[in-house]
Amino acid sequence: MARSSAWKRYNVRVIWLTLLYGAFLLPAVYGFKHQLVPHSIAYLVAILPALPIVGIFVAIGRYLVEEQDEYVRMLMVRQTLWASGVSLSAATIWGFLESFGLIGRVDGYYVVIAWFFGLGIGGCVNKLTLGDGGC
Amino acid sequence: MFAAKQSDLTPAQRAHTRRILWLLLAYVIILPPLVWIRSTTSVAGYIPALMAIAASLPVLGIFASWGRYLSVERDEYHQSVALRRIAVATNATMGAAVVWGFLQAFGVMPLIEAYWVPFVWVVIQGAFGCTAMFSRGRIAA
Repeated sequence: MARSSAWKRYNVRVIWLTLLYGAFLLPAVYGFKHQLVPHSIAYLVAILPALPIVGIFVAIGRYLVEEQDEYVRMLMVRQTLWASGVSLSAATIWGFLESFGLIGRVDGYYVVIAWFFGLGIGGCVNKLTLGDGGC
Repeated sequence: MFAAKQSDLTPAQRAHTRRILWLLLAYVIILPPLVWIRSTTSVAGYIPALMAIAASLPVLGIFASWGRYLSVERDEYHQSVALRRIAVATNATMGAAVVWGFLQAFGVMPLIEAYWVPFVWVVIQGAFGCTAMFSRGRIAA
């Protein structure tokens, strides 16, 4: 299937954001590990690696707005709905297991990892139900 | 006024609202005894895990109800409004989760229970719904 120009723009944005993520994350990890980050800018340094990930969500939203092929857009919408369902359900179950003292607490970004995993599940569901995995 | 609002709803919206109300009722009925049992008695083995999963089931039902609503809604306008609402809530929630997650990972903020993530999602959904309802009311007035 030929990729649309919206899809190409989306890929370029995601690649840049991923590079930016690496550029922010590595110094932040190094800085916190060796206690080089002053307390006054600790929040800023901790938030910086999160921003490119937030940007990826914006890029997905932008792609959905720019995509002209309604069928391809519908496939991506279905994928994102599956991703949201999977990640929010996982967070709910994990949260109650934590609350009942059965498992330890985890960093909030694992929910986002679950979301991207859910995006893959959505692609599989699209493939199985519509015969087209989409994006 | 409520009757007028009810008649504005599509059959799919009415069914979805009914499902959500039943699920919230189930949540309110199920949660307090489970919390009470957990805090006052020393149940062991797999029972606490089952209790935790039982407490989360009505919330999972709410997400399933949204999926069901989107698949049965025949009015394309309402469907697109719901999709937009879900997209806004999901983006805002995931954004908050990833920012909070990095603050936790670098030890700047404390760890919190994961169920706050769906809680934020539901609150944003509600805020979006209220905004839409009031703006419709202003246009109608």
